[in-house]
Amino acid sequence: MSQRKEFENKDVALIDILDVVLDKGVAIKGDLILSIAGIDLVYLDLRVLISSVETLIESNQETAEQLSSKRFDYEKEELDRVINESG
Amino acid sequence: MDKLIYLYGIIPANADNAIPPMKGIDEHNPIFTIPFGEIEAVVCNLDEAEYREKELEAKTNNMEWVHEKAFHHHEALMTLYEIFTIIPMKFCTIYSGKDSLQNTIVEHKPKMIELLDVIAGKEEWIMKIYCDNSKLKENVAEDNPTIASKREEIELLSPGRQYLEKRKLDQLIEQETDKEKDSFSSRLHDQFAQFSTDSEVKKNWNKDVTGREEDMCWNSVYMLEQSTVEDFLANVQKAQDKWKSSGWFIEVTGPWPSYHFSKIS
Repeated sequence: MSQRKEFENKDVALIDILDVVLDKGVAIKGDLILSIAGIDLVYLDLRVLISSVETLIESNQETAEQLSSKRFDYEKEELDRVINESG
Repeated sequence: MDKLIYLYGIIPANADNAIPPMKGIDEHNPIFTIPFGEIEAVVCNLDEAEYREKELEAKTNNMEWVHEKAFHHHEALMTLYEIFTIIPMKFCTIYSGKDSLQNTIVEHKPKMIELLDVIAGKEEWIMKIYCDNSKLKENVAEDNPTIASKREEIELLSPGRQYLEKRKLDQLIEQETDKEKDSFSSRLHDQFAQFSTDSEVKKNWNKDVTGREEDMCWNSVYMLEQSTVEDFLANVQKAQDKWKSSGWFIEVTGPWPSYHFSKIS
């Protein structure tokens, strides 16, 4: 099981989760119609992403750590950098 | 008052294996199962005053809420996925009450039973390929015979013509690099897809989304029998080691619940 251990649940980014949860998964229309279905990640606002990363780290400290808070920190830095460059 | 029902996913009926205790999306009500014969719906109740359509729409316009709760949805599914075969529902699949949930489940039950059988013992793995664009361009400029001979021709021209021709050549290199990205990635994809029972090529994400310096040049997902996962990953690792120095970064994540290959209708 050496290969699996090497890769399992590693390097999962917030964006990966948003992609599958918002865009994929089985859609059987409930009674409530949601505008969120089929959201296009490409149009997600950068600042929204950053604020959400912060929220996630604060409110979900434990789980975020399990998932790899280092990874989130890294992403946040990267996003900050991208914004600074484009701003 | 009638309670709303948030549906996480569908698992096979199981008398002896209870789901682990978890709090629902409102961080208050517990997650529990409702049996429907051969299958069970994993759900939590939601207060109508807080989660009816108007309130929910306001919540979903708040991206922080969406991100936090999408994370919760995935986390709950991952916990269940470790124990059961599960059909994962899309984020925020909410029913107005038990009757409407029941109607929906009964209508789709034969398909769900079939689907649970298909996805049992399988895992989704996502592969993304990133590349160091400038390194790749260098390699293309060096290795491509058309470009090499063009370059020699240019050396013999007058300075003014040289300038123009060099610009054209840069464009050619750019085009060839793009071609190389696509052909390299699809070759690798074909190789990995051989291990899978199903595969899908996804959209590439731009740098604003990935927040990375490297370009994403491939994004795909594979449905793998558990018994082939080791071989698949061994091949991924081999490819990672082989291509890293040429500026290709091959990344895989998994196992994911069957988000991509669960289809009901």
